[in-house]
Amino acid sequence: MTTAKVPAKAQSSNNLVGFLVGLAVVVVLAFIARWLKIQVYGTNLPLGIPGKALEYPLWAALIGLIFNYILKSVNVYDFIKSGFRTELFLKIGLVLLGAGISFKVIVTAAAGAIIQALIMVTSVYFFCWWLSGKFGLPDTLRAVMSTAISICGVSAAIAAAGSVLAKKEEITYVTALVIVTALPLMVIAPLLAGLMGLSEPVAGAWFGGNVDTTAAVVGAGTMYGKTAQQIASIVKQTQNALIGVVAFLLALYFSVVVEGKKERPSAAVIWQRFPKFVLGFIVTSLLFTFGLIAKDPGAAIAAMKDWAFCLAFVCMGLELSASQIKKMGWNPIIVYLIVTVFNTVLALIVSYLIFGWLFPAKL
Amino acid sequence: MNVKINEDWLAVIIAFALLILAVVGVITPAWMKF
Repeated sequence: MTTAKVPAKAQSSNNLVGFLVGLAVVVVLAFIARWLKIQVYGTNLPLGIPGKALEYPLWAALIGLIFNYILKSVNVYDFIKSGFRTELFLKIGLVLLGAGISFKVIVTAAAGAIIQALIMVTSVYFFCWWLSGKFGLPDTLRAVMSTAISICGVSAAIAAAGSVLAKKEEITYVTALVIVTALPLMVIAPLLAGLMGLSEPVAGAWFGGNVDTTAAVVGAGTMYGKTAQQIASIVKQTQNALIGVVAFLLALYFSVVVEGKKERPSAAVIWQRFPKFVLGFIVTSLLFTFGLIAKDPGAAIAAMKDWAFCLAFVCMGLELSASQIKKMGWNPIIVYLIVTVFNTVLALIVSYLIFGWLFPAKL
Repeated sequence: MNVKINEDWLAVIIAFALLILAVVGVITPAWMKF
């Protein structure tokens, strides 16, 4: 018994050391990203690009990508990767973001965001499902990919995979595709929005509707402006809230139609999969709205929110695994890219109609 | 004892802990400058 316990203990302390070292690496890289942002902010870069256009999400993701390569090259990546917690840092940042947004804004934007989310999620989901069927992809991969691209990348992929019992490789594959497309979109979408002269609410709604992962949505919004960041976050979180419903419907479809079982999955999955941090976001917004957060604490909270997002962007760069993509061949990549273009164009039209015309958000 | 906590709730707990520290003045804007 003693011999069995010692390796388990050693393993556990090894895991803790790896986690702490990983976390320390992420924090140091976030400081470097912040330092780079400050150096470039007031300058003019080649091609007339103003330094302030290059906000911290870009630097953080770039530094993360560079160290992703370095850490893998020196074989320490696997040991410390448990400290790379994109989703955790992102969710902390989103809850803190709520402490700077009036609840009135959330209610105003949520009306448009719900309509947009319903249009986008159903159209993109079924388009991806249909197209991936035409390309002969397996049903489990089709379900994971359609959910990831129509709702919110990584967490939606995991939720869908649980419902349809997808293979582990299918999750890691779709996750890699999500990050590979979301990172460039995080930079390109704000540039395109600027060229098209989109207002911040419309641009924010567009980023929230078309960029696949919440971290990149927040990143794109941050680069475009404060209002864009707020609207993008609200729109994306509204979409995220549908994860539970889609996970339940998928479980129902696969259980009854694909596997031909008689028993139905429980509707409790809707609550189980509901992103609970959205509740935290609403509560902090209520605290702000009722004047319970004064000016100084508010400034500290806003800075902590930026730190949390910066840590998330560093992790996003660190977690990219392009090698997974090579394993599945070209068909899923082609499907994913076509659906991304469809998603981008449709989101632009829908966000323009809803946030520019039907429910123009006044902030 | 091995306690497992959902990442969503963990994020909410950490965020509220930070928020409370800011409200009571332990974390100041100057200290947290981004």
